Amino acid sequence: MSIRIDKVSFAAGDTVIVNGVSLAVEKGKVLGLLGPNGSGKSSLLRLICRLRKARSGFIRLGEDDISSLSRADLARRVAFVEQQSATDTQLTVRDVVRLGRTPHRGLLSSWGAADDAAVEEALLRVGMRERAGQLWQTLSGGERQRVHIARSLAQSPSELLLDEPTNHLDIQHQLDILSLISKLGITSVVALHDLNLAAMFCDSLAVLEKGEVVASGAPEDVLTEDMIGRVFGVRAHVQKSAVHGRHHIQYVID
Amino acid sequence: MSAISARKQGWWALAALTVAAFLFLGLMVSLAVSIGEIAIPLATTAEAVLNRLFGTDFELSRIHQGIVWDYRLSRALVAASAGASLSLCGAILQALLRNPLAEPYVLGISAGASTGAVCVMILGFGYGVLGLSSGAFIGAVIAFLLVGFLATGVGGTGERIILCGVAGSQLFNALTSYVVTTSANAEQARGILFWLLGSLSGVRWPDVYLSVPIALIGFIICMAHVRALDAFAFGTDAAASLGISVRRVQIVLFGTTAAMTASVVSMVGSIGFVGLVIPHAARFLVGPAHGRLLPATALGGAIFMVGADIVSRIIIPQQILPIGVVTALFGAPAFAVILYRVRRSA
Amino acid sequence: MRQILATMTCAFGLAGLAAPSLAATRYPLTITNCGQPVTFQKAPAKIVSIGQGMTEVLFSLGLADKITGTAVWVGPVLPQYAEANSKIKRLADNDPSFESVVGQEPDLVAAEFEWHVGAQGSVGKREQFADLGINTYLAPADCVAKVNTDGGDGVRKELFTMDLIYQEIAELSEIFDVKERGDALIAQLKRREADAVASISGASGKNLPVVFWFSSKDVNGDAFIAGKNSAPAYILKTIGARNVVTTEEEWPLVGWETIAEANPQVIVIATMDRRRYAADDPKVKVDFLENDPVTRELHAVRNKHFVMMDAQSMNPTIRTIDGIETLANGIKSFGLSQ
Repeated sequence: MSIRIDKVSFAAGDTVIVNGVSLAVEKGKVLGLLGPNGSGKSSLLRLICRLRKARSGFIRLGEDDISSLSRADLARRVAFVEQQSATDTQLTVRDVVRLGRTPHRGLLSSWGAADDAAVEEALLRVGMRERAGQLWQTLSGGERQRVHIARSLAQSPSELLLDEPTNHLDIQHQLDILSLISKLGITSVVALHDLNLAAMFCDSLAVLEKGEVVASGAPEDVLTEDMIGRVFGVRAHVQKSAVHGRHHIQYVID
Repeated sequence: MSAISARKQGWWALAALTVAAFLFLGLMVSLAVSIGEIAIPLATTAEAVLNRLFGTDFELSRIHQGIVWDYRLSRALVAASAGASLSLCGAILQALLRNPLAEPYVLGISAGASTGAVCVMILGFGYGVLGLSSGAFIGAVIAFLLVGFLATGVGGTGERIILCGVAGSQLFNALTSYVVTTSANAEQARGILFWLLGSLSGVRWPDVYLSVPIALIGFIICMAHVRALDAFAFGTDAAASLGISVRRVQIVLFGTTAAMTASVVSMVGSIGFVGLVIPHAARFLVGPAHGRLLPATALGGAIFMVGADIVSRIIIPQQILPIGVVTALFGAPAFAVILYRVRRSA
Repeated sequence: MRQILATMTCAFGLAGLAAPSLAATRYPLTITNCGQPVTFQKAPAKIVSIGQGMTEVLFSLGLADKITGTAVWVGPVLPQYAEANSKIKRLADNDPSFESVVGQEPDLVAAEFEWHVGAQGSVGKREQFADLGINTYLAPADCVAKVNTDGGDGVRKELFTMDLIYQEIAELSEIFDVKERGDALIAQLKRREADAVASISGASGKNLPVVFWFSSKDVNGDAFIAGKNSAPAYILKTIGARNVVTTEEEWPLVGWETIAEANPQVIVIATMDRRRYAADDPKVKVDFLENDPVTRELHAVRNKHFVMMDAQSMNPTIRTIDGIETLANGIKSFGLSQ
């Protein structure tokens, strides 16, 4: 399924947070969302999975307008990983990942082999299988993040939305997770801060500034020195990397 | 062993625990029927129950018959269902508000009930039409609606809702104090104090016909929402992204807990600690998954309350201690122990 | 001759005047009231009376014109004093404030209960009044052998007797220098008491178990029953019956299991105008007794041995005599007095 966002606006009270944003993600591709803090990335992600209601505009998943889908239907297709999410309950890693199967389980349906398989695979993919019995409260920030991602994978989604999933991760896991996402083949939108990671792993990029799209397209077209200076307020030198073939940004400090 | 067979073993253990718990509850109820202000021989107690249950024809004093069946048994059944209701409400609120200190009175219900009760008892509001229980129920509902109104106005995070509940409770407690200090004489003030601490003395069979169905229906409604309750672990957004209709679930569950709590409080006064401690004890025994937690909580609450009732009647000879005092006396140390054990294992 | 007649008339007149003054109070008068000495330089001219029982004693001594304010009323005043009472300012139906009392500028504050004027008095402490030069007088019935520190109805350590009321009447009549009226009142009350006892002479020694039910906050729940040393207990002792309750608390909360086990032969039911608890209504109490599966088996209920008594007779006041008469009549009417 592809994702189409058509002139979507969202406001909280009097403040406009997302202003007439139009974007498209092709089926199976990864879109990286970039932008400084407060540019509306998180809100946009929440609009796509209908955690917030858009004031105007349309969002389509494949052929379906999201406003026509029931919450349960939506949850069976779209998985969302928040920036930070904590709990006091004494859950184990496996318990948390199992929560991801909620949209697929009716009230009276019992736990089945398909559910088991989804959970185990998700744990394997984020590298937390051996720690499945550990309590959530004993995990580090990065480990918790990986477990949340596993939960979203256990949802067997056709669209995946991640809000800064690599924030607390060490470099090895940052690369692992993003590599995983890029190889999954699920249509994904990932909000990122790191421009280089975005260049390495995303199929297309979109840059938000103050709730509006100021640049979108292939990474090599979007990541220009001019745009970086204008939107992010830093000087940079952009060139194609000899190592991995994607663009690489070097920051210029005075 | 594979995950499947481990779960099957878990099932057997759980089933055994459930049966044991029901048997224990039955034992407690029997104890409650046999023990009381006056000593009735066990044989007489058994005969009294058999007479009414199976129509047997044992010869015994009709006063003893009445005491065992109409006073003690009804009281034990109300204690059990009230205990189950209160602890169930505590578990639900702890999940919805994501706060381990949440308990049934956090939304102002008990404070509102006491205000309603004093208005009827001391100011004579609506007397002739309203009894004490009805006054308490109405007060509870008004307080809950006020808190709910306030909470939707300030945004529905767990913390904000609790703060609204605190504000509402303080308001209604202040109203209660105002009425008591300006209008009550010493005898009435003492009567209110006893009511506020909870009392099962006035319970008869009609109360059973109210209390038990409320507990059962409440239990069924809560069990129907176990998936949603589990999904709330990471907050409302996470629950929504897992497919839960957050608004609808909140309305149904808050409404159900409010109705259950208001009914219990209006029948037996505000009995504390049960709704706070029993969910934690249950969580400690069977884990946090609500599919197991809710039945364990309900059973645990029933057993605890019946036990507290027995203790309240025998701890001081010829006097009945208000049951709220007993639940606090035993609940507080139990809570401390549970917190300590949880801390060690985490 | 006329001069001698005049002198003798004066002498006789003086002698005549002197005779009654032999029984008159000598001021300054100091009495010990509830453990504190209280001194009167002269008969008080302005009284505030807190407590219906105390007020009615003052009325009975003909002192209505000296009362400037009253408070704490349980029900309507005795009918013979209704007119006099209507002319007196009522400060409050329940507890009056300290200021409203001293605002009347009394030289004596008379209180029926220590929980109004006393160490934990809700109106004030005796010292607070003394600081303003106001004397206080407490009913002996509330402090002799009675512990009021728990703030409730208190605990009576010795059986209440009418002697405590007679002591109150005697002391008050001495304070106000109306000794003849006091003596006459005491004599009248004693005669009524004796007549009531005589009317059921056969019942003494019968040791009838009786329970006095004041009210309950929930009619199905525990009941406020007269304790072992209360005024109702005195009524029972005078008549020769037996109180089923043995605690020393004035009005303990008793469960129906305990009352049922004692199986009283007569149940005295309090009647009152107040309707704060549903159980204040005597009809509600009778309804409960006749329909509750346990109490309807009680001897008193099966035979309908109910005695309706005004709640004020159950307080330690002059109305306790009314209570004795009512209960005696009741027992006689049930045919239990042979």
